[in-house]
Amino acid sequence: MTMDDNNLTFDKITSDLTHHIRINKGFMVWMGFLTVSLAVCLYAYSMQLRTGLGVAGIRDYVTWGLYLANFVFFVAASLIGMLISAVLGLIGMKWLTPITRIAETIAVAFAAVAGLIIISDMGRPERLAYVFIYARPQSPILWDVTVITTYFVLSLLLLFLPLIADMAVIHRKVASLPSWLKPVYKSLSLNFTDRPEQNKIINRSIRILLILLIPAALSIHTVTSWLFAVTSRAGWDSTVFGPYFVSGAFVAGSAAVIIAMFFFRKNYKLQDYLTDMHFNNMGKVLATVSLVYLYFNINEFLVPGYKMKRADAVHLQELFAGKDALLFWVVQLGGLVLPILFMLFRRFRKPLPIMLISIAVLIAAWFKRYIIVIPTQEHPFLPIQHVPQNFVHYSPTLIETLITIAPFILVLIIITLISKFFPVIPLHETAREKGIEHIKFD
Amino acid sequence: MRFNKTLIIIFLFSLGTRVAAQTWVVPDDQKAVVAPLKFTPDMQKQGEQLYMKNCQSCHGLPGKDNWAKLTPPPGDLSKEKAQKQTDGEIFYRITTGKVPMPEFRNILPEDDRWSVIAYLRSFNPKYIQPNPVAKAAFTGRIVTLSMQYSEPMKKIVVTASEQLKDGQAGLASGVEIMLYVKRYFGKMQVGDVKTTNAKGQALFEFPADFPGNKDGYVEVSAMVNDPKSIMKTTPANATLAIGVPTDKPSLTATRAMWSTRDKAPVWILLTYTLSVIIVWGFIFYIIYSILKIKRLSNG
Repeated sequence: MTMDDNNLTFDKITSDLTHHIRINKGFMVWMGFLTVSLAVCLYAYSMQLRTGLGVAGIRDYVTWGLYLANFVFFVAASLIGMLISAVLGLIGMKWLTPITRIAETIAVAFAAVAGLIIISDMGRPERLAYVFIYARPQSPILWDVTVITTYFVLSLLLLFLPLIADMAVIHRKVASLPSWLKPVYKSLSLNFTDRPEQNKIINRSIRILLILLIPAALSIHTVTSWLFAVTSRAGWDSTVFGPYFVSGAFVAGSAAVIIAMFFFRKNYKLQDYLTDMHFNNMGKVLATVSLVYLYFNINEFLVPGYKMKRADAVHLQELFAGKDALLFWVVQLGGLVLPILFMLFRRFRKPLPIMLISIAVLIAAWFKRYIIVIPTQEHPFLPIQHVPQNFVHYSPTLIETLITIAPFILVLIIITLISKFFPVIPLHETAREKGIEHIKFD
Repeated sequence: MRFNKTLIIIFLFSLGTRVAAQTWVVPDDQKAVVAPLKFTPDMQKQGEQLYMKNCQSCHGLPGKDNWAKLTPPPGDLSKEKAQKQTDGEIFYRITTGKVPMPEFRNILPEDDRWSVIAYLRSFNPKYIQPNPVAKAAFTGRIVTLSMQYSEPMKKIVVTASEQLKDGQAGLASGVEIMLYVKRYFGKMQVGDVKTTNAKGQALFEFPADFPGNKDGYVEVSAMVNDPKSIMKTTPANATLAIGVPTDKPSLTATRAMWSTRDKAPVWILLTYTLSVIIVWGFIFYIIYSILKIKRLSNG
């Protein structure tokens, strides 16, 4: 390849991957919609702040309601950064390059918001600092706070490091960039000039992060599962809860990545970079992790279901044939078994079908957390006497539902901002994989 | 058809009033009970202290309507609903209780229960106390217990004496005695109920392997079995060196998972601290490296 060819290709890649970085009407309308929706949800939260947690449906029986189910879901979805970038990346799967930043964006957004959800479950959020001031190292709650913070910082760094080179290109070459943003990109690019020493630091840092990310990510969801599994309640008292949660997290995260890939490809015209091959492969990843999750589901329900200890029997009865049966079977069959069967066929791993399957999987993944968190609490070992009916049966209130929706809007805002102002697909890495060794900065 | 509907409505109404009437009925003879003493400011003061300790957590402060949100609602006792009851009704309710209201029969002596009522009545300006009726003199048996450990017999000997009609003291036979030892959570009965013999004695065999405190002492108490409260009895308490010396540290005395932060197990402190230091060490190292990228370009 001659120098000119090189530049031509590089210019083409740059333009393909950065043409969406501008403030247009569609972006403003979408962000306006998100902001207004968030304001409505924040108003609901202000009502909870004024009146207390009583405005939510949680009572003395079910003290962990929608908020905690939502928290588990968000931690789960954030785990995908580790699977895509670290596990598959370290194995050396080259096809993943265009997907890594999407996965990292999802990881950062969901991990950042997961912490906020916990605050929404606190009756006295101004006492948040007490979690640290009076922390007991024996408590999984302290471990959870620690690992989630750590994972968030690791993911943020992993998102930022490959962006350094990209931002160096953007502030020099992207004409559509608003002029007031140029200095921001310039300072964030840290004067990167593609010198070998600079690349060496970036590559080595990324490698350290990828290795650290694996134990950190395993910890965040294992510890989250322990918040449940270290109590002796039916449905939570399980030794496979760690891997059960982690495998479930990969299912939710892979589905989220596929949905994001589909919309970025369509909206930012990335058909040449996110090809059918990528959707096909991600479909295989989703099918594989779903199969692993199915295996843990069988363990989780068959073993206690075979023994039918009294408390377990009450719990399983409600799930299999009682009050929660409809939700349970729709989630297990519609969100796990059927998608696996579909994904075995290549034609369902094309972009549109796999995206639709992923939406079903993701919705089911949310309700699955509901099934894990709530029904158990409706059957305590020692029922409280003389309590009102609404203590015994949990039903979320409107205010609670709005406060539960808020984190989704926040995640969408974060993902929108990151994907709008940075290349969705790593620019520098893509160029290097196309054989362009050095970027020419003019 | 219309007739039927009316009937149903009448039926439902009568059902409703029946349910309401069933809530908590005080027998008529109990309603008529009056206090044995005239209420005094001192009684009210003592009643206030007792109220704060025993009643306030559910009923709230009188006049403030800040009672606990329970079913059925405890209500503010200074309000008309409570105040329109006779003293006897209030006394009966305090004495017997009805779930979730606890019974205070064995918690507060009768005089204390009357003090609480005196305090509650101080919130009702319209209240006029009915003339006190002193309790009739007691005519049943008055039994006092004493207790010793007999080394030769290896038995605990409980002796019951009673006040005879002529004022003399005598030995009480045919009295049912129960023996208890103090454990962590309350008292545990030792052996069965025994009846005193002609010498007024009941003998209890005491297990030889019973764990005592670290010097081998056991707190033992003997009581009269008198479920209908027809006697006036005085129990006997003694600390006897009849147990096996046992010195087990309390479960929270040493480092453990369930202890406070200061007593966290060493292994968990080390694991947690080291993990945080190692991972965050790398994070800070990476942040430092990132800052170096900038310097490299300047150079």
